[in-house]
Amino acid sequence: MSSAHPTQADARLSRYDPMSRILYFDDFDDGINGWTTLVGNYEGSIETMTHSYARHTQPMLSQITHWDAGTHGAFDGTYALKIATRPVPGERNVAIKRVTFRKAARIRVETYFAFKPEANELRLSDRDVRSFGLLFDLQDGRERVMPHLRYLNALDGQRMNRWQYKRRSLPLRAIGGHNETVTHDHLSPQDWEDIPGAGQLLCYNEIPTKINWHYLRMDFDLQAMRWIDFQCNDQIFDATGVESIRMPAMPNLSCMLNLAFFCEPDTAKRAFLYLDSVVLSGEF
Amino acid sequence: MAGIMRNTLTAVLVRGEWLQGTFETEPYEAAWAGEALFFVRLMGVRGTALAGTAVECKVQLSPDGIRWVDEGTVLRVDAQPEALVYARVGHFGGWLRLVGHVPAGLEVQPVVTLSLKA
Repeated sequence: MSSAHPTQADARLSRYDPMSRILYFDDFDDGINGWTTLVGNYEGSIETMTHSYARHTQPMLSQITHWDAGTHGAFDGTYALKIATRPVPGERNVAIKRVTFRKAARIRVETYFAFKPEANELRLSDRDVRSFGLLFDLQDGRERVMPHLRYLNALDGQRMNRWQYKRRSLPLRAIGGHNETVTHDHLSPQDWEDIPGAGQLLCYNEIPTKINWHYLRMDFDLQAMRWIDFQCNDQIFDATGVESIRMPAMPNLSCMLNLAFFCEPDTAKRAFLYLDSVVLSGEF
Repeated sequence: MAGIMRNTLTAVLVRGEWLQGTFETEPYEAAWAGEALFFVRLMGVRGTALAGTAVECKVQLSPDGIRWVDEGTVLRVDAQPEALVYARVGHFGGWLRLVGHVPAGLEVQPVVTLSLKA
């Protein structure tokens, strides 16, 4: 019997390092795989939705085609998941996949991603994307816990090139008249903090129409509800001291295991986050 | 995208925001799909609409997601709450969007849905 890790039997998986059990391996050549837009909460009227959530739009399956070089395609195959913002500075977009967990184990998310601004100017444009990142939205019997990780590429026109997290969110806001629904804008621009020592230069590659795929991994412990570490390309960052947004458990979110990716522009130009594929695995 | 089952995806391009004048939906990538249906539903209408007043929406195509050209299909939706119209579109290349025009004096609250199928 061979002792080879099962991932080596599949060329698409062999570039990942999943834990022992794969919860999902979403290759966007196969379709949308349960990734959808993050719609904000509302009750009675759609207009009760928080404005920033109301602006979110649906992710799409992109061939990554540009006016100058034609179709780029994904890391493998043709299609990647594309999260596209509107052309408004700071106005984010978010795609989410919602599952639940059966064991509070260590989990690992991995993806190959690329980010670019819309190629509507003949300029370097490397400061037009403000940030991209991911978050988990989790709940156990005691707490709702939301670890947020983002790469701050640029802010107000300045290159930032660093990883950040959040431990605070805006206050909960009640929606509707039945005392059943609340919302909070956990991805608001406030309260992002630098992860100590987590500066990193990525491969932007000269013009807006060249795409280089990057590897991103984040490990989290659902038992302790604590960060473990994260990795982007060749750099591994210890995250044992990194905090999450925490609040008391909510009534109808038991065992929630949501994963979301987001991006936001720094200028009045659409920002695009592309995901070739996403693997969520666990140690159980 | 292989397999026996046909892939399909419905995207909500406008989700009940109040609009007036000319509006454009955000570009939506659809290269994988062979057929598309646009639906336009008006959740609400503000202002006084004379009988026969309509919001006119044109389907547009794009070579690059940046520059747009009329596809030729036009949806006319009566400026009445819960009005609903659709249009079938095929052979559209990489991107689709709608450009709408709301008659002067009116504000509408559309839900624009794009149903794609491989």
